[in-house]
Amino acid sequence: MLVDLLTKRYPGMRLWLTQRLTALVMAGYIVLMVLLLLIQQPTGYAAWRAFVSPWWLRLATMLVFICLAMHAWLGIRDVMRDYVKNIILRGYLQLLMEILLAVYLVWLALILWNI
Amino acid sequence: MASVMTKNRSPSRPKNLDLTTIRLPINAIVSIFHRLSGVVLFLMLPVMLWILQTSLRDEENYLYLVSFGDAWWVKLSLIALVIPLFHHFYAGLRHLGQDVHWMTTLQKARFSGRVVLWLDVISVLIFAIVIW
Repeated sequence: MLVDLLTKRYPGMRLWLTQRLTALVMAGYIVLMVLLLLIQQPTGYAAWRAFVSPWWLRLATMLVFICLAMHAWLGIRDVMRDYVKNIILRGYLQLLMEILLAVYLVWLALILWNI
Repeated sequence: MASVMTKNRSPSRPKNLDLTTIRLPINAIVSIFHRLSGVVLFLMLPVMLWILQTSLRDEENYLYLVSFGDAWWVKLSLIALVIPLFHHFYAGLRHLGQDVHWMTTLQKARFSGRVVLWLDVISVLIFAIVIW
């Protein structure tokens, strides 16, 4: 039944599930980060840098941000569909939003790469 | 769908769109703030990325950022930034619960809506105490 709903015949169901799954990933990441910060309490530049340095944390951060980009894309698209009635304007706004998200992805990748 | 519904309604029915007298029920308040906080968080992404980048560039930039964070208005801005974060987090978890049919009766949804708003307040207060 659930698998049936996720086939190509119901693209909306896939988007719906994507929004929920990415939300769960981000929620888990936030809880994990808060716990890690509370345990390690990095103070000062060296400690802060060491805190962010482990490869798995950088990888997790990148993957979570990819989830965030998908989640934001769906959310902002839904909001614009409700409030921006002009289809042409909405198309441009959506393109702008997509460009911004792509730039942010590259930006974060550069930040994490250069640690 | 919407046009069908409007067609069936009487055109003379009373309307109230006065924002000063409309009182949203708690579920609507939690919902609209979930949406609003999502948009705000999206708009704040470059700020968050800039903070992360500056904090990691070198010691000088890190110390600059820390001294910047000492100003009272920066602290207030930080608090203003985490309000949508906490709300989107808690209200989102509430929606996920409702997706799996947890607490979906009107009474229970009102209760969970109140819980979300109280969690917002408590979390923001704790955050404010921690950074001050």
